Amino acid sequence: MSNEVLIIGGGIAGIQSSLDLADMGIKVHLVEKLPSIGGKMAQLDKTFPTNDCAI
Amino acid sequence: MPEKKDEELRIGVFICHCGSNIAGYLDMEALEEFTKALPHVVFVQRNLYTCSEGGINEIKKGIVEQNLNRVVVASCTPRTHEPLFRNSCAEVGLNPYLFEMVNIRDQCSWVHMQEKEDATEKAKDLIRMGVAKAALLQPQEPIMSEVTTRALVLGGGIAGMTAALALADRGYEVVIVEKQDRLGGMMNNINKLGPSMINADELVSQKIKAIDEHPKITVFTNSELAAVKGFIGKYKVDVKTGTGTKNIDIGVILVATGASVFTPKGLYGYDGKHVITQLELEEMMKKGLDPSIKNVVMIQCVGSRNEDRPYCSRICCQVAVKNAILIRDQNPEARVSILYRDMQMYGVENEEMLRTSKARGVRYINYSPENPPKVEEEKVQVYHPLLGEELELPADLVVLATPLVAREDTHDLSQLLRVSIDENGFYLEAHVKLRPLDFATDGIFLCGSARYPANVREVVAQALGAASRASIPLSKGSVVVEPIISVLANEDACRGCGLCAALCPYGALEIRETEKGRKVHVIDVACKGCGVCAATCYQHALTINSYTDDQVTAQIEAFLGG
Amino acid sequence: MLDVGRHPNINLMAYSEVQKVEGSIGAFKVTVRKKARYVEEDKCTGCGACEEKCPTVVPDAFNEELGTRKAIYAYFAQGIPSTRTIDPDHCRQLNGKKCGICKKTCQADAINFDQKDQIVELDVAAIIVAAGYDVFDPSRIPEYRYREIANVVTAIEFERLLSASGPTDGHVYRPSDIAARAKIEQLEKTLNKTTKALKRYEEKFGEASEDFYKKFQNGQFSDDEERKKWASRYEEYLGISGPLQELKKQAEGFSSAKRLAFIQCVGSRDFRFYPFCSGYCCMHSIKEAIIAHEHEPETTSAIFGMDIRAVGKGFEEYKIRGGNQSGITYVRGRVAEIMEGANHNPIVIYEDTRERKVKSQEFDMVILATACAPTKGLPDLAKVLGIELDDYGFVKTNPVSPVDTTVPGIYVCGCAESPMDVPESVAQASSAAERAAEVISLQSLNKESAVA
Repeated sequence: MSNEVLIIGGGIAGIQSSLDLADMGIKVHLVEKLPSIGGKMAQLDKTFPTNDCAI
Repeated sequence: MPEKKDEELRIGVFICHCGSNIAGYLDMEALEEFTKALPHVVFVQRNLYTCSEGGINEIKKGIVEQNLNRVVVASCTPRTHEPLFRNSCAEVGLNPYLFEMVNIRDQCSWVHMQEKEDATEKAKDLIRMGVAKAALLQPQEPIMSEVTTRALVLGGGIAGMTAALALADRGYEVVIVEKQDRLGGMMNNINKLGPSMINADELVSQKIKAIDEHPKITVFTNSELAAVKGFIGKYKVDVKTGTGTKNIDIGVILVATGASVFTPKGLYGYDGKHVITQLELEEMMKKGLDPSIKNVVMIQCVGSRNEDRPYCSRICCQVAVKNAILIRDQNPEARVSILYRDMQMYGVENEEMLRTSKARGVRYINYSPENPPKVEEEKVQVYHPLLGEELELPADLVVLATPLVAREDTHDLSQLLRVSIDENGFYLEAHVKLRPLDFATDGIFLCGSARYPANVREVVAQALGAASRASIPLSKGSVVVEPIISVLANEDACRGCGLCAALCPYGALEIRETEKGRKVHVIDVACKGCGVCAATCYQHALTINSYTDDQVTAQIEAFLGG
Repeated sequence: MLDVGRHPNINLMAYSEVQKVEGSIGAFKVTVRKKARYVEEDKCTGCGACEEKCPTVVPDAFNEELGTRKAIYAYFAQGIPSTRTIDPDHCRQLNGKKCGICKKTCQADAINFDQKDQIVELDVAAIIVAAGYDVFDPSRIPEYRYREIANVVTAIEFERLLSASGPTDGHVYRPSDIAARAKIEQLEKTLNKTTKALKRYEEKFGEASEDFYKKFQNGQFSDDEERKKWASRYEEYLGISGPLQELKKQAEGFSSAKRLAFIQCVGSRDFRFYPFCSGYCCMHSIKEAIIAHEHEPETTSAIFGMDIRAVGKGFEEYKIRGGNQSGITYVRGRVAEIMEGANHNPIVIYEDTRERKVKSQEFDMVILATACAPTKGLPDLAKVLGIELDDYGFVKTNPVSPVDTTVPGIYVCGCAESPMDVPESVAQASSAAERAAEVISLQSLNKESAVA
């Protein structure tokens, strides 16, 4: 039995899942295919509807 | 004025080259010489990378060997590196809040690459200001507070029930407060759920059964929240029940109060019989639709996307399409027309349901708000843009898609909880994009149509998500807060005017009666140190740790004095 | 993002792939391949000196190939982990050529050309699939002529043009102009070289190239090998300088794109490709039109769509504000074709369903709101995990448990489940975290009750 979690994908969804679990005290392994996490959202300039910066 | 200290100030400054990122564009030797001459600076060192293991060891060595009691690092941004440097100080016994960071990369070498001299002068200014502030820094201790491991869920609809079960399965006690006499909320009035066409009653009964059997969940029906005191981890709430008021200790609060359906009084001849709302149709369908109904006309956006209610209520198109399909199921001869502005069938399932309905003979006619349909005795007139002519549709039943609107008690409840509501009266989350299920106030969470209209699938996802967010403080058992928060530095100056409390976005300030009269009290675990209160206080009674008036003034004076 | 890199409970394995999964809920055994970066993460300080010196220039995937990067690179400037990676397909050293400049440059000694892929074994109780989506490739729609007409771009490409950290520093230059400017730069370089060569000849023979060439054309020096080379160099010069002047003159007329067309449902709601609605694209186009207008107040945008689906908190209001304040016109209709007009201007041919007329309109640039396609690797990943996909290729879930896959203990969130926008992805991500945490809580609660 393990008490760790694997998350596949380091976009905004994977990042949020990781942070929630890690903040609960659960050890998380976050696997991302590309050299950096951030996913599609990191490519966005700003986001609707607040025009906040995406990064 | 800096207060007198017994201890001699010994400031160490570490200037980072960041490879060539800084050193390539600034005169590093000049910076070092300049820094050495600053007041209280006893040690200056340049590092290739202050953040590398070698650099960190130099800081530690400096603190130990040079007896440094303040450390300044002039390098990159505190956003990425301040925690690292603070920890390094703490590791050799220097209070981490006696550390100050100066950003000579982003603010000097990066933005003034072509102007070496000016960039160096700016870096000198920044370092001088940082050193001036460092001289006045005071040690701080993190603030810790215990968390009661019990959650309060407001609302016993699908959102509240799902969140409660999730938290209870995680091992936390949950109290559900429901206004109605039974759990289920709006789901109790719904026939089937699109597009799976699952019976709403079945889903509700399953959840109610699971809640009844769960040892960790307490349900109060016919009840409401009467009072809330305290802050994250330590709430004391009064719940008014049929048998009196219960006082309960709570750690976190989830708002899952849902929404109401707008009643279209005076619109399109609404009468509740022949011209009804989609919700009334649901109830009609539950009992079985009158087989004599042969012609149904549905009108979308009734009371929404207009000047009074500019928002799109998101789910009404799905509801109409689902009901159109179900009408065709129950009553295959019935003709169903949907008059719409935009069919908001976003996503995979909805678009699929829209296609199904078209295959099942549901007719769609686009109308523009400038030329809306007219409902008359047993018929509806509408302009058909593709045919370019006015059509007359026979109608035994006209169904109006009305928006979900914020519940009437939203305003009062938001005051009770000290959370915000948006311009449409729904609860306002901490950040519409990145924190949809949190309130700005720590310890209070949000899910379901209380936030913004959502379908059952979305509500369930949000409820599980809100449970996840709420479980974070519960699982830690305590909250630890950075001590860079607001403090009442000058109690005598405070007149208890309450301006600060009214403006605090986190509900972290309250006005209390004390022996000295009305005074503001800072709920330290709730404060984020944003500084709004300190900037507002015309008496200068409030200040922010590590950004005190003295410290900021010292920085400005250091700048002007240069 | 930063918090992930710093969190003590998160083991970040970027540049890695899941290869094998065995076991079941509560006890999965996972094999992960950590690809060699040829840069040691713990030594690299992220200063970027290596990148500056690297001689190999490669099209930049992060900027949708509208810009370039080096063979040693950070995927993007603020990327986490903040280390560099060597691209083994383009690095000279790794391809047997002499180089190693990055290694010489790196003062932290982080470059390691001998690094190998690493296999890591993990034991986990639950798995969350957050594999995201791919942008639909619009060149599959021949009538839109993506890649044929330079100034027809995808929404994400346009996003990079809008971005201050993008290849144009946030100026909305047209790709045809960007290409022309690159061409000018390249021609100028060649011209400089040629001019230098000509100068050498001129100094040697004490004569201007122009004068010499006249004589040469008249038949003089026809047996002098060196002068023959001079002449061919001069011809080369003439061959470049003419077109260069022409291009430069054209470039003077370049300005940022101000008449924009956004085409909705590119690949979505289209039976040839994806019948579903991708959900976020209407809002994405509106946002891009608003931001473009912020950059250049004269910008006008036409958004062509069947329905404009602004379904989300504050979205309808945003759409109306865009129309009123940001020069956006919403046109109900489907675009039939895009043609190329004069000056590389795309011409949009569409049926206005309100007026029931076929119309055409010229723009500076056309932006395609491409569908949210299931990510290419998803079928393989699903096989590794043993989970089912739905008819469209997204991860299959249950209507009443929206983040549960067909395998207990494996959960899904974000666009791997179905197309959705950021707040929905964030909410779902928390739901998946909740379900995963429940697995662990139930294990320990059961253990407790077993002990008791």
